Amino acid sequence: MSACAFPSLPTRARRSWTAWAVGLAVALAALVLVAPALRWLFWDATWVGQSRAACGPAGACWAMITARAPQILLGFYPAGHGWRVGLAVAMLAVGLAPLAWRRRAGLTMLTAPVGALACLALMGGAGILPSVPSAYWGGLALNLIVGAVSAIFALPIGILLSLARRSTLPVIRILASAYVEAVRAAPLIVVLFAAAVLVPLLIPPQWSLDKLTRAIVAITFFEAAYMAEAVRGGLMAVPQGQREAARALGLKGWQVLVFVVLPQALRTATPALVNSFIGLLKDTSLIYVIGVLDITGVLRNAVSDYAWQGLEPEAYIFVGLTFWLLCFGLSRWSAALERRAARAQGAPS
Amino acid sequence: MSQPMIEIADLQKWYGDQHVLRGVDLSVRSGERIVVLGPSGSGKSTLIRTVNGLEPHQGGTIRVDGHDLDARGQAGAAARRATGMVFQAFNLFPHLSILDNCTLAPIRVAGLARAEAETQAMALLERVRIADHARKFPIQLSGGQQQRAAIARALAMAPKVMLFDEPTSALDPEMVGEVLDVMCGLAESGMTMMVVTHEMQFARDVADRVIFMDQGRIIESGPPASFFADPREARTRAFLGRLRA
Ligand SMILES: Nc1ncnc2c1ncn2[C@@H]1O[C@H](COP(=O)(O)OP(=O)(O)OP(=O)(O)O)[C@@H](O)[C@H]1O
Ligand SMILES: [Mg+2]
Repeated sequence: MSACAFPSLPTRARRSWTAWAVGLAVALAALVLVAPALRWLFWDATWVGQSRAACGPAGACWAMITARAPQILLGFYPAGHGWRVGLAVAMLAVGLAPLAWRRRAGLTMLTAPVGALACLALMGGAGILPSVPSAYWGGLALNLIVGAVSAIFALPIGILLSLARRSTLPVIRILASAYVEAVRAAPLIVVLFAAAVLVPLLIPPQWSLDKLTRAIVAITFFEAAYMAEAVRGGLMAVPQGQREAARALGLKGWQVLVFVVLPQALRTATPALVNSFIGLLKDTSLIYVIGVLDITGVLRNAVSDYAWQGLEPEAYIFVGLTFWLLCFGLSRWSAALERRAARAQGAPS
Repeated sequence: MSQPMIEIADLQKWYGDQHVLRGVDLSVRSGERIVVLGPSGSGKSTLIRTVNGLEPHQGGTIRVDGHDLDARGQAGAAARRATGMVFQAFNLFPHLSILDNCTLAPIRVAGLARAEAETQAMALLERVRIADHARKFPIQLSGGQQQRAAIARALAMAPKVMLFDEPTSALDPEMVGEVLDVMCGLAESGMTMMVVTHEMQFARDVADRVIFMDQGRIIESGPPASFFADPREARTRAFLGRLRA
């Protein structure tokens, strides 16, 4: 080391000086630029009121958001039944809970679909509670429900697709690959249109599913193609020696898959899976094409109301922020899960 | 003399066009310790991988513990169950603790209750001297400890034959001894063993018979004393000469 005695310390010192200077300049510039935005967003904003008239001219008019809060959360779900929506979303969470329970995370494969079905049953009534047609479901709850339910059913389908793509039977392999490639080349909005408009033309009306169910099924099969790719990456990362060791111990083919290969593949695929779920959650806004009002639709509806006309900036800033918080929270949560899994196995983190 | 534990007759194996095993005949008595030597690519790994059914073969027969490996149903399964395998790269399951590595097959394949499987696994981990690490994950163990755990995992299925494919080749030199110790103890307990290794000291001290493979055939075999002192074949002499050099 002494042979190459470059003046590393002085350089570093000088660099840290410039770093300080640049940092300070950027911070000042940011403050100058951001200060008016912050004033508009918070300082001069109006938080409550019954119409745009209540809002001052200089600041944001959040009164629209607070006045419409119930719809933003629940859509036009009947008054007095909001608890069902809350419980339905809680069902999703309960179904996903085993994920946090390291030794039994695989149980989620069973509990999550049960939670998803319970969620849909509560929302619709299931013949026990007063029926609420899906046209009345809406708001942020609808985004969460559509996103989570689709993802929950898309994962097992995606796993099957990824396994099919590695099948030794060429027919299965080619069909699965063709499906995945075709879906990945189609925009979701086209798929949703097809589900909303085309399917009723092709299927006799007495067999037809409800519009929202059709959309959920379409999103599920759309998302499955992306999840299949994520899982395929995970499968490829499992060394051949793992399968050999499992087979040498006498495990049958499906046992090798369930107890040895998939747990490792899914762990590797988790970041990619979460990533594709985040994309899905943002895409749930596209269900406006079937005429239901998710959080975006509710706000679009609000700004077309005479009382709140012209408040598009507030509406879109609010929607953007909500999605950002959700997605950022999700990515932090998945990172925490990964870190914990790595720590449990003693990997240097 | 009872029937042999392993009986291989005219074993033929191809990888595509490549003829990798060209008529291997081998009979291993119960309790016998065989060390397999040979240059790289001679088919040592392929031989022991076909013996436990990891690789299919295209000609000849393999019988383990009296069961034909290729038989359908019960007999074939019994032949495969009679062998345990230890790999060069350990191949422990990284998502399971050492204890769970050792109980997975007993629970899922042999149908043991978890408590019973854990008691048995702990006894085996005791035997390979890593019971203290039972709750750790493979990545937290040294290479030598991992390989001993892998031996315990294979033993948990109560095999009648243990197959080893270069079990110490991936280890740092200071960890080779602890694994060889465990294998030596296993040999003393009367286990039938077939070991591919480059550890000549192990071959000398533990083997009942050394077999030498070249180009897919067994070209020489004999007790280690005479094998090392007085090899008959020129290729064997060349191989041993290279090792000493
Ligand atoms: N999965 C495979 N596919 C194709 N060829 C293979 C495969 N495995 C081994 N071979 C070939 O078969 C021959 C025998 O290989 P094998 O691994 O049995 O040799 P080995 O004696 O164990 O050698 P080494 O000492 O290097 O481990 C080699 O020529 C090798 O290239
Ligand atoms: Mg080899």
